[in-house]
Amino acid sequence: MKKISVDHLARVEGNGGISATIDGKIVTDVKFSIYEGPRLVEMLTLGKTPEEDVNIVPRICAICSISHKYAALRAMENALSVKVPAKVSLFRELMHLGEMIESHSLHIYYLALPDYVGFPNVIAMAAKFDLEVKIALEMKEFANHIMKTASGRYIHGENPVIGGFGKFPSKEELIWIKSRAIHFMPFVLKTVSLFCELDYPDCPEEDTVFACCNPDQNKYGIAGDEIILSTGEAINKEDYKSLTNEFVVSHSYAKHSRYKGEPYSVGALARVNNLGEKLKGEAGKMYKKYFNPRWKKNPLFNNAAQALEILYAFERIPKIIDKMRQLPAPAIVLYKKKDGKGTGIVEAPRGLLIHSYEISGGLISYTDIITPTAQNAEDIERYCYIAAQKLLDKGKESKIRDRMDLVVRAYDPCISCSAHMAEIKKAPLDDWRTKLDGIIKKGLPIFVGIGRGNRSDDRAGLELALELRKQGVTDVWLESEIIEVEAPWKNKPHRPLVFIDALDFKEKPGKMILLPLHYIFSNTVLSHKLLPFISSDMGYERLKNSFVLGIQPESIEEGMKISEPVRQALEKVLKQIMN
Amino acid sequence: MEKGSKEKLKIGIYELTGCAGDALLILDCEKELIDMFKAADIQSFLMAKSDNIDGELDVALVEGSVSTEREKEELLDIRKRAKTVVAIGICACFGGIQAAFLDKKDWEKNFKKVYGDKKMTHTKPLQSKPIDAYIKVDYYLPGCPIGKEQFLSTFNRILRGHPPELYRFSVCVECKWNENDCLLNKGIPCLGPITRAGCGSICINHNLPCVGCWGPVEEANLTSEFHLLREKGFDYDFIKKKMANFSGTGMADFLGELKGEKK
Amino acid sequence: MRIIKLKKDNLFPFLEVISEEADLWAPVKKGDKHVFKVVDDFSQIEMNSTRTILPPRKIFLPPTFDMFSVSEEGYKEDFSHITKKILFGIHPCDIHGLLILDNFYKQAYLDPYYLEARKNTLILGLSCWPDEYCFAKSTNTHIIEEGFDLFFTYLKDFFLVWIGSSQGDDLVRLKPELFDEKLTDKDIQTYLNWQAERDKAYKWDLNFTAMPDLMELKYGDPLWEKLGDTCLACGSCTNVCPTCGCYNIMDKQFLGGKDGKIMRHWDACTLEEYSEVAGGENFRKKRSDRLKLWYTHKLQAFISKYGKPSCVGCGRCIVACPVDINVRTVGKALLGEEEDAFWIRLNKEVTK
Repeated sequence: MKKISVDHLARVEGNGGISATIDGKIVTDVKFSIYEGPRLVEMLTLGKTPEEDVNIVPRICAICSISHKYAALRAMENALSVKVPAKVSLFRELMHLGEMIESHSLHIYYLALPDYVGFPNVIAMAAKFDLEVKIALEMKEFANHIMKTASGRYIHGENPVIGGFGKFPSKEELIWIKSRAIHFMPFVLKTVSLFCELDYPDCPEEDTVFACCNPDQNKYGIAGDEIILSTGEAINKEDYKSLTNEFVVSHSYAKHSRYKGEPYSVGALARVNNLGEKLKGEAGKMYKKYFNPRWKKNPLFNNAAQALEILYAFERIPKIIDKMRQLPAPAIVLYKKKDGKGTGIVEAPRGLLIHSYEISGGLISYTDIITPTAQNAEDIERYCYIAAQKLLDKGKESKIRDRMDLVVRAYDPCISCSAHMAEIKKAPLDDWRTKLDGIIKKGLPIFVGIGRGNRSDDRAGLELALELRKQGVTDVWLESEIIEVEAPWKNKPHRPLVFIDALDFKEKPGKMILLPLHYIFSNTVLSHKLLPFISSDMGYERLKNSFVLGIQPESIEEGMKISEPVRQALEKVLKQIMN
Repeated sequence: MEKGSKEKLKIGIYELTGCAGDALLILDCEKELIDMFKAADIQSFLMAKSDNIDGELDVALVEGSVSTEREKEELLDIRKRAKTVVAIGICACFGGIQAAFLDKKDWEKNFKKVYGDKKMTHTKPLQSKPIDAYIKVDYYLPGCPIGKEQFLSTFNRILRGHPPELYRFSVCVECKWNENDCLLNKGIPCLGPITRAGCGSICINHNLPCVGCWGPVEEANLTSEFHLLREKGFDYDFIKKKMANFSGTGMADFLGELKGEKK
Repeated sequence: MRIIKLKKDNLFPFLEVISEEADLWAPVKKGDKHVFKVVDDFSQIEMNSTRTILPPRKIFLPPTFDMFSVSEEGYKEDFSHITKKILFGIHPCDIHGLLILDNFYKQAYLDPYYLEARKNTLILGLSCWPDEYCFAKSTNTHIIEEGFDLFFTYLKDFFLVWIGSSQGDDLVRLKPELFDEKLTDKDIQTYLNWQAERDKAYKWDLNFTAMPDLMELKYGDPLWEKLGDTCLACGSCTNVCPTCGCYNIMDKQFLGGKDGKIMRHWDACTLEEYSEVAGGENFRKKRSDRLKLWYTHKLQAFISKYGKPSCVGCGRCIVACPVDINVRTVGKALLGEEEDAFWIRLNKEVTK
């Protein structure tokens, strides 16, 4: 039973959050760490009633508390076969849109915009953008008001319950919300232009998979019963685990997720990328005006996507209210069922949120909660890695920290961690030694020597492999042998796999570096010849446990001689392994 | 009355483990936020700004429970730097929902269920506790999350060198002020009588029972409430769990004594 | 006192006329209870209401209100919550409750907010019918002779209307054609029959004459400890009591140099903080001591001073207290007549 204790990942005290380790010209490690302590929220819900669960789980995250409540309600109602009347669904959508506006406006105006216009915080920014800050505050306050009306208070309101609401708002309250929503439209349109026209840097830019809820009726929306991916695939909500595949990482109390071994992204950008064509009205027009293929590759456009979603929400609110006003306030739907299983999925402001429960004898016997940031964590690390390596390639090391900040913040992982996170570390001397030792400790590696025998230092990988064999090390292979036979690492996912190769990373000859294999994917400097080995049948487990030991060659001209520095390096490695 | 910037009180707002709802609530004081930044020298507030400084403080507001070794160290450091420490929110005051595991062994077992045997490299986990398990706390501002009115009043009073002035009675008082019909008297399991006021009895205003999210009131008569609910037909375990959901360590003694005493 | 007659159908037209220049407050339904609320739609008025959850004192001194605004220039009294009001549908016991509050706020301790609100509120009483909790006959507060501007006795098809003040008379004069000046013998007989029936409808009584002595004699009785062990200290008895009037004040200051407020809120001697003094000393830390204080005030002290109890028999504490600590069970226990109550059952349960 896999569990996540706490999502929101938020809060990063002091300087933590994301770190990149740099060894010369190579980024060797990127980690998105959550210093938030373990809360074991899922365990807390076991043995509790469904009602108590709905009270407790929103406490996972204040800024997504309504989404948590909504996802839990949907899951419980699925499990207990509760069908809610239309007015309940509409009111829930209204509260959910309130949270979307609140969270998005807080993020884009308070947290993201200061970066792009060069201020440390929104208060300082107010000196220059007085009007924007003021109206954005009002917009956020309005969204808070919607949440308060629907849930009872700004944060952790208890009005939404299984089967309906404790209380519905009066006609006057609804009319007020509607008229206020219309009143904000000019500013909302300005907001979309402002954030869609910001000059987003083109690094990092690379394809990924986007996942979000597929709303009913072929419309844009923020809840549904099916997950759709940018690949065109669809996953039933009950099969969510085939998307998320959660696993524990040692550097964070939030678990990570990968789909088919690859990182994927959720959030406003995923929704706009997957569903944007369905946007109607002003939001549809704005989408057509601003959407371009970069949105599919560059996470920084999440800010633009959030602005677009604010517009979507403001257009949707008056329609919901008109419908709500035609319906009488229904009583809470009661249920008798005491056993069942159910999953509920909604789009939290920062992406797909999944709650799944089993209820036995009226009490919860199984809980699984998967939060958006847990799903984004791997892509956050990947995009930060890409950004760091590319900037390093261009000799702009000084820009890495800020850029990683921008990337993490664009994902809006939760507010406080967006405020202050990036850290750049220098790799220690001979970092490869410690890493190699760590790998060997996990299990005897399978070594593969890569290279061309007639190209001086490019022979290094082959030579080392042969030497290892000579010394009696088993499971050592040469590149040529691998191409001929079936991959020797097949069915051995727990054995580390180490490729040894001459890699030109523009360092002093003989310098060594040890990298996770998947870093090779998005590296502009390193040779691409390893790619044939990273075939699609190399699953995530395998990939996670595979590495490249690179040696900087002096020359790869035709010839049989290995240079002195590389020769010395080979000896060092050999000694290290044989120890 | 406003002092020059040199004399402004130095204030730090810190978040340990929790939902960040208290810090968010402070950000939700939209209208007053700018005044807050003007009236005090906000040295550190991760959720709102990136130019944070860790220096001497007049007042530290701390949200969240202590749930890792790193947080414990940070908290000890905050205490050293700050003249006054205020616990804000139920996690800092009582440990919050995550402190409901009374037994350390239970907690360890659950931790293993969630994280397996993976060794955590970044910081050692600790069973969640309120901040006064490690440091002296000068004032407590309860809530889940804290209430806007009480926060602003407390912030203000602290700026002027006065102790906070909070409601010290139970939710029932505010509930009566709001002229709600008592849910307990209708047989609905409401924790109003044992829960600290300040929320404005918001759940009962919505026809829903109090879940106890502000934590126990100073003089909570737990025995009476417990037996009253028993008499109204609720199951022993149900009441016990309900009381434990939000109270963290706040009712630990009472709930601990109940152990084993079935029916 | 002049008594006139109003046909039932003429009530709403009358209310329509008089509410033109003031807010009309009347009992309306809230769940299966009643509350006083401003009404625009008279059909919402509950003509046969039982006791409201909160007593009418909330209309004069709301549970919370701002007393002062504070600025660098000093303090300024804030009367902004006081508006012209007409309170319709207040029962005799509650009018007695207001008269008791008058003893504090209009005589003993002049309270400008109370005085101002009293001055701006017209009292239009309405007769009632007792339910199983009422005991106003025991406190002799089931009938009223003063303290109202108009009093309506509801007799099925018509009202008898007592004119209790010149302001009451002025109201009638706004639309005199709605009233009949002359009462028939049949009308008078209907009223007398109604009154006799009503007297008989009180289902229980409490001997208040004995209370001051019993409070004295049983001041050290273990009874109080039992009550203290059970009391939730929720303050409900005090908040719903029509004759309680203690309050506390709090600062509500604002940032950025704007004016602050001094807020006043209902307090209760049954709450722990009430008897705490500077330095943290509390001379009534125990719940039992606080309950003694409350009951001494209701059943003893007020009688010695004013010759009547400060309980008007409205039954609110009986309805409100979740653990059955109320004038009925405590009074009966003082008399040695044990009634079934949660606090008795709990004591048996816990000592078991």
